[in-house]
Amino acid sequence: MSFEDDETPCTYVGSFPKGFGYGPEEAEIEGPVNPGEEKPRILLMGLRRSGKSSIQKVVFHKVSPNETLFLESTNKIVKDDISNSSFVQFQIWDIPGQIDFFDAAFDSEYIFGGCGALIFVIDAQDDYMEALSRLQMAVTRAHKINESIKFEVFIHKVDGLSDDNKIETQRDILQRATDELNDAGMDNIHLSFHLTSIYDHSIFEAFSKVVQKLIPQLAVLENLLDIVISNSKIEKAFLFDVVSKIYIATDSSPVDMQCYELCCDMIDVVIDMSCIYGVRDIFLSRARDDGAFDNESASFIKLNSGTVLFLREVNKHLALVCILREDGCENRGIIQYNFKCFRAAIQEVFVARNKQANKSTGHPQMDLLVNGQNDDELDSDETTQTNGGAMASGHGLLNGSLLQDDD
Amino acid sequence: MYITEKRITSSLVTWEMNAIISLCHFCELHGPKILFCTQPFRPQEPRNLYGDDLETNIAHRLKSVSVAPNPSADAHSTPIFSTGSKDQCEGCKSVQTGYVSTDEDAQVSYVSTQQPYNPEVFARIRQACIRSLSSEVCPGREGPIFFGDKQCGHVLSYTFYIPDNQARGMHRWYSILIVMMDKIYLLNSWPFLVPHLRIVIENLQKKASKVFDQEEAKCPQRPLRLGAVVDPNNFIKQRGGNKPARSLQELTGDKSVFRMLHVAFLWILKACGNRITETLLEAPPTEDTIIDMEKQEETEEGFIKLFTRKADDFDSPHEQKESEMRPMEDKELDHTICETEVEDPLAPVVKNLRHLRKILESSNFLSLAHHVVVGNQVIVSGQQRPLVKSILETLKSFLPKGCCRVIPYSNKYEESWKCNFLGLSPEVQLSQHVTSSELFVHIEILPKLNILPLKEVETPLNSWSGPESDASDPDFDGDTRLDDFQFKMSSTVTLPPRVPTVLTRMLMALQNKNLSSEVVNAVFTCLKEEWMNKVKVLFKFTKAGGNRNEEETKKLLQIVGAREEDKQLLKFWITGLSMQYRQHILSTSSHSYKS
Ligand SMILES: Nc1nc2c(ncn2[C@@H]2O[C@H](COP(=O)(O)OP(=O)(O)OP(=O)(O)O)[C@@H](O)[C@H]2O)c(=O)[nH]1
Ligand SMILES: [Mg+2]
Repeated sequence: MSFEDDETPCTYVGSFPKGFGYGPEEAEIEGPVNPGEEKPRILLMGLRRSGKSSIQKVVFHKVSPNETLFLESTNKIVKDDISNSSFVQFQIWDIPGQIDFFDAAFDSEYIFGGCGALIFVIDAQDDYMEALSRLQMAVTRAHKINESIKFEVFIHKVDGLSDDNKIETQRDILQRATDELNDAGMDNIHLSFHLTSIYDHSIFEAFSKVVQKLIPQLAVLENLLDIVISNSKIEKAFLFDVVSKIYIATDSSPVDMQCYELCCDMIDVVIDMSCIYGVRDIFLSRARDDGAFDNESASFIKLNSGTVLFLREVNKHLALVCILREDGCENRGIIQYNFKCFRAAIQEVFVARNKQANKSTGHPQMDLLVNGQNDDELDSDETTQTNGGAMASGHGLLNGSLLQDDD
Repeated sequence: MYITEKRITSSLVTWEMNAIISLCHFCELHGPKILFCTQPFRPQEPRNLYGDDLETNIAHRLKSVSVAPNPSADAHSTPIFSTGSKDQCEGCKSVQTGYVSTDEDAQVSYVSTQQPYNPEVFARIRQACIRSLSSEVCPGREGPIFFGDKQCGHVLSYTFYIPDNQARGMHRWYSILIVMMDKIYLLNSWPFLVPHLRIVIENLQKKASKVFDQEEAKCPQRPLRLGAVVDPNNFIKQRGGNKPARSLQELTGDKSVFRMLHVAFLWILKACGNRITETLLEAPPTEDTIIDMEKQEETEEGFIKLFTRKADDFDSPHEQKESEMRPMEDKELDHTICETEVEDPLAPVVKNLRHLRKILESSNFLSLAHHVVVGNQVIVSGQQRPLVKSILETLKSFLPKGCCRVIPYSNKYEESWKCNFLGLSPEVQLSQHVTSSELFVHIEILPKLNILPLKEVETPLNSWSGPESDASDPDFDGDTRLDDFQFKMSSTVTLPPRVPTVLTRMLMALQNKNLSSEVVNAVFTCLKEEWMNKVKVLFKFTKAGGNRNEEETKKLLQIVGAREEDKQLLKFWITGLSMQYRQHILSTSSHSYKS
């Protein structure tokens, strides 16, 4: 028996296909958007042993929760690049709990300057008074350096707490933390609280919400999802990052934890099936090592509860997962068709974002993509119009496409 | 009292902070911590002030430090760590007071304590400790890296882990830091330091692995940790996770582990200091300097170097120190001549060339010099070792260092390919074989009392064309110690009638009474360097160009300003070229063949 720990913290491999992580980006349509632009940063902070590294490993590297019992204490900042798709591009910095990075020995301007969100992890199974004072300190100092940081507090390891205890703990922490901020005259800072545990889906859920706040196109995506479900008799739709199983957008109806878990399980099933039976060219698949998730990945699963799950690949890293009633899927053709439109729209959002961000992408692939689309449409004016439509309402595009498409 | 103590320690430390070794640890509870720190002290100052013994002095100082911790040092530790004094667990501790070892000869004490007690040094080491364990990234995680700057010092940091089955990751991170202010020195010492640090580290790891395996056999961690059920109703039990780290003694199962580290660190400091001596160069190195450097390289690591040239003397103190430290390595030194003798300061010796000229008389001196510069073997035999040695030593200044191969005193004849300067005991008889086949000049030092009839061996000494000088030299007039000796010179070689150009110039310098001996030395250096440059041209010409005929060589000699009578000298001096130059020429010339 050996307890060989992973040597490089960011390439942990469990039973999960090796390359099916966030390896070096292939030049796909959603390649790096703005080469010069810094990726937004998510900092994981908190006292030693609060569970920061565990969260990062479980969410982004498929480490099984039990395996985190053998993680070593982190001694330096571990930077993990998550650049899987056009929308989800960020870095996660796991900050060791023993060290005060506001100390003069470190460049706190650098650490907090480019930071999009700060997640502060509090071990709910331990005495959290020290953690709260550290939270207070971190929040005020980081805010001073960078006003746009979003602060997220993970009340973590709640699997060890009874339900009553959970609520009580959350209430207590929320109360104390906001009181302290108010006392310090920092009541303009907003803290969001999440109850999390690596032993269930709560950590993925919480992380999804953190990530969504960093996606500027979130409103457009949500809008598109709303259009899809209303036009296809779908009850709930998630746009998933397949690797991490965090959802980067969902429609505007409230999220039910069980629905979310159901969708996560569906992704697992599809990936497992594809790995075993879906590999067509074994050598190619091995070379790419992508878990056989490709542009034909799709699945309908009917449950005994009369619910149907539907999954479809959107791009290399994203999948649309929907929940619908049995009777809603009578007309699969329409669903399939609307999905195509949805997919095209997503890509257009991406192109639009690109154009907006920097006129000359400096990326041959990018330029090719833009030109290619223009060729298809023949009339470039029309393209801009359609784009504008997609951005504005989305409805026009879907309906318009319905009429135009000959397939 | 406390104030004075502090003042002394600080003046001491800043005075002698050339290298400090420390062991650091990343504690799961407290982050990076300095565990153990070894530094050298030169004791002169306190000894002068107090007149008391160094050892008690330092012990006293250590005690005062441990009783009343330096407040400023404490202030340094607070900002980085979350809390103050409760931030101490077994894992962050090493020794209560410390260890002191004194090197009587070198007048240096090596002191090991948990932390340096000088606040400035403490801040520096602490900074290095944090960088080493918490920000610098070492590819492969374990291994040596270099970082630092002028203010904080330059650091060699060797990171490694020690297995510990109580640790969260089943191991703990440590690093050994060597902090120096001199970057060049540190980087030059790298090839020495890294392998020796590795030995120390592997020793620690081996011990700890044994302990780890025993503990695992008794109580395997994996099922234990996986089996710890989380019970929502008494979750407070879970808090046990913050148990304090264990000490290095416990992890290695070795109570005296820090004593071992003290000895290892002080050895590294000392040996590293002996390894490199600094030479200040004011100009491009002369051929002689390069030869000196090559010789050093060759002796320092024993006999590893591929290009071994025979070392010409074995009596430099540096080499002897090395041989004491690593007795088995310097086999080269195990030579008959190496036996140390207490030299009588009153023993008659020859002080310099002018002195020698006076003793030998101009004509003999001239022919002797001529023999020397063209490479004939010079044998000096006599009862008085110091005298023999001093004559050889004096004569060496006629030649570039690379041409001198000296055996200062021997009890049997050594062939000329082994040495061109040979000291012999008078009992040795030169065999017929030697006198007939070797090119040598023999100087016998005989007591004046039993004057033998002057008998010339084989060829009488030739006539020479140097100007005569009057024998009276004010410098040596008072010295009568050599009056009891007579010097007999004989040779098997007929010298060519004309003296090499460079020798003529050297002799002119010697004769000019207006020049002090320092100036004469400088003139010699210049002349030798000038002619070594011609030698280089000749060497390059013959090696780089393939076969050259007589005519071409003659033309070349004309160009560099050498005449027929210099040819023999040039040929001999080629053997004195530094390895560095030879290799350079040979590699570049073989390159030019290809292109
Ligand atoms: N019960 C429970 N244990 C958890 C959870 N998350 C993490 N842990 C445990 O908490 C311990 C510490 O986790 P780490 O992720 O290494 O802690 P960290 O915050 O990275 O600590 P440092 O690196 O020292 O700053 C591990 O033993 C994990 O198994 C959780 O959600 N529930
Ligand atoms: Mg960690």
